[in-house]
Amino acid sequence: MADVLELRDVRKAFRQGFIPRRRDVLRGISFSVAEGEIFGYLGPNGAGKTTTIKCVLGLIFPDGGTIRLFGHPPLAVKARAGLGFLPENPYFYDYLSGFEFLDFYAQLFGLPKAERRERIARLLRRVGLEKAAGLPLRKYSRGMLQRVGLAQALVNDPSFLVLDEPLGGLDPLGRKEIRDVILGLKDAGKTILFTSHILQDIEMICDRVAILVGGRIHSQGRLADLVSEKILFTEMTVSGVEPEKITALGQSLSVQGNRILLKVYDEAGVEAVLSLVREKKGRLHALIPRLQTLEDIFVDAVKKP
Amino acid sequence: MRKSTALGLALALVLLAAAGLKLRLDAIPRRTMPGSSVIFLPSGKFLRATTFGYSGFLADLLFVWTIQYYGNPQIPDKFQRFENIFSAIAELDPRWVDPYEVAALIAIYDARDVRLALRMFDLGAAKNPGMWIFPYQAGHYAQLYLKDYALAKAYYEKAMALPGAPPIAKRLFANAAYQTMDLRTAWETWSEIYETAEDPQIRKIASNHLYRVKAAADISLLRQALDRYRERYGRWPSDLERLAASGILSPIPKDMDGKDYAYDPASGGVKTAVIPWKR
Amino acid sequence: MTVKVIALNTFKEAVRDRILYLLLFFAALAIVLSRVLAVLTVGDRTKVVKDVGLASISFFGALMAILIGTGLVYKEIEKRTIFTLLAKPIRRHEFLLGKYFGLVLTLAVMTAAMSLIFLLLVFAHTLTVEVRLLVPVFFIFLELCLLTAVAILFSSFSTPILSSLFALSFYLIGHFSWSLETLLKRTRPGAGRAALRVVYTLLPDLENFNVKTEAVHGLPIPASLFLYAPAYGLVYTAFVLLLAVLVFRRRDFV
Repeated sequence: MADVLELRDVRKAFRQGFIPRRRDVLRGISFSVAEGEIFGYLGPNGAGKTTTIKCVLGLIFPDGGTIRLFGHPPLAVKARAGLGFLPENPYFYDYLSGFEFLDFYAQLFGLPKAERRERIARLLRRVGLEKAAGLPLRKYSRGMLQRVGLAQALVNDPSFLVLDEPLGGLDPLGRKEIRDVILGLKDAGKTILFTSHILQDIEMICDRVAILVGGRIHSQGRLADLVSEKILFTEMTVSGVEPEKITALGQSLSVQGNRILLKVYDEAGVEAVLSLVREKKGRLHALIPRLQTLEDIFVDAVKKP
Repeated sequence: MRKSTALGLALALVLLAAAGLKLRLDAIPRRTMPGSSVIFLPSGKFLRATTFGYSGFLADLLFVWTIQYYGNPQIPDKFQRFENIFSAIAELDPRWVDPYEVAALIAIYDARDVRLALRMFDLGAAKNPGMWIFPYQAGHYAQLYLKDYALAKAYYEKAMALPGAPPIAKRLFANAAYQTMDLRTAWETWSEIYETAEDPQIRKIASNHLYRVKAAADISLLRQALDRYRERYGRWPSDLERLAASGILSPIPKDMDGKDYAYDPASGGVKTAVIPWKR
Repeated sequence: MTVKVIALNTFKEAVRDRILYLLLFFAALAIVLSRVLAVLTVGDRTKVVKDVGLASISFFGALMAILIGTGLVYKEIEKRTIFTLLAKPIRRHEFLLGKYFGLVLTLAVMTAAMSLIFLLLVFAHTLTVEVRLLVPVFFIFLELCLLTAVAILFSSFSTPILSSLFALSFYLIGHFSWSLETLLKRTRPGAGRAALRVVYTLLPDLENFNVKTEAVHGLPIPASLFLYAPAYGLVYTAFVLLLAVLVFRRRDFV
């Protein structure tokens, strides 16, 4: 599959203040987004996610490195023709109504009037804003702005979508709706790059992720590869065994009545506990292997400089 | 980057084109309405109310503009609004001395209207009652250009009474008094100057003036007596002793230095025997 | 095409902005108040009406160009609406030109509205429709076009307050640059005078767009002025817009 977006060693520093102080935001970012996948761009606040996206969109000029969007540099008009973008905390022309706003953006793509009308009606239905179409944007709530933002990103029926924190600031129901929209887009064959600092979002819908920490990519790859089947430890809850014997086999976390919660680190330990329970006619209440999660990787990455 | 260079080049070219057009535009003669720009200058009081505390600054602007305006010889009717303009400046910044003086200079040398110049000084004096310079200068103008010593005397009298006035104001006043034949005032003032002056040079000047004042009084007295003599005897007396002997005037006054006045029996004329400045 | 779309949206933005109507209201008020001044004056009353009317159109037009123009681009950046806009397939100069022409369109409509009030008032005095008075209005509009470009230029890299000050300075310099000519005549020939002459030639001269006196007094306006003044306005406007594009195209939108 062809790469829709490719970044190679992108660097950017900002100079701020009266006496300019150099602040490196991106220290060599390389990753690529393949056609048809959902790519999660993960990182703590201030890691440089939005800066990367602005470089991709040609809003910021990187100091070094190359960016290819559909094989073109970001400033090329051709590169942005098949692109949809939803910024973080979107804010739009508050003097326009929802319909006028989408119509304005649709006109930028040179769509004829009849098609604009039809397409906007469909988009408004898709993001659930049919009733608010005539309302000026200044009366929109946070969640409505997010939806109309998604609608404007889709106005040109783009093949590649860049979504910056699309689920930020939404209530659980809203998150689910937007998530469904995104998954629907993937089914329709779109390529999606989206950023988040919330792990569940990414875990739930992304094919591949890159984790950005302090302006560098810490790790990237398929979600299944990153969080390998490696079992970190096993949590076991047992009863009817003498605590002294069993705590020797693992780390006792809590004791509630005769129930013991035990953290066991290897497979031999698990076998030993099981045979002990069988031998003593005790009971096994729960056995939960804890796999490595994205959160573990993330916390690891952020903690380690 | 090559695109930036091209844009920069285009920028320079466009600026050059603008400069060229500007020069071309400068060459187009524009008709102006002489004096049209001041037809609606509001009164100073109104202007002052609308300057929001920037009246001094506005006065500066107006003054600078005025100088340019009156420096332009191509406006034939520019003196029509003269008082309007300068009284506006005076109203905006009444304590600013220069505009009054410049106005008077323009009035004298350009408009050739002494009365107008005097009105400018009167305006200055009215706005600044404590400043001697306005009546002092007005006195000069009245004396120099109008030869109106009575007017000059009145101005000098005002000037010398004000604090800071130079001593010469008093001397000019005394001189003007002499010129208007107000000999009593002239005598008293010169005596005062003579007595208070410390500079011997000035004492000498005052003394000469006193000589002249006394001579004028004496000669006027002699003239009357001689006229009476001629009325009575049908001829001029052969000498002044004969005038004394006739009982018309006795004794015959002598000048301040005790010398006789020079008498010409042929014409009956009397004058000082010496020129007062060469005593 | 995209320029036109952005221009129309900018027009919509300006027309839905309250400040525009406030300015229009005051302009109308000033034009109508000239009637009161005319009563107070002695002599030719219509002259006062024409003077004050044309001055109001010029002054409030300039105010509109500066106050709205300096906010246009800055607001897009400040409110981050420019992010989604520039993510669409438009070039940066198209965005800037769209903003410019949108405001020029707004000013054209506003100038037309003010002229209408003005002509009606003059009609009330003279009972004739003095179409001739539209000549100075046309020149005022040329000046407003240039001023708008300046406002957009400063707006593309500075805050509205600073931009307004810059644009106002441009306006004042443009109307006082003739005084440099007076200075030139008094300067001794030499390098200083040459430098002064270059500055004088390059500085904008907005007095070239001032034919108010001629129009009010019925003096003939030289025909060449109709050719060269618009040309000068257009070329100078192109220069300022080009400068704005140069500033804008390398800018980071953080």
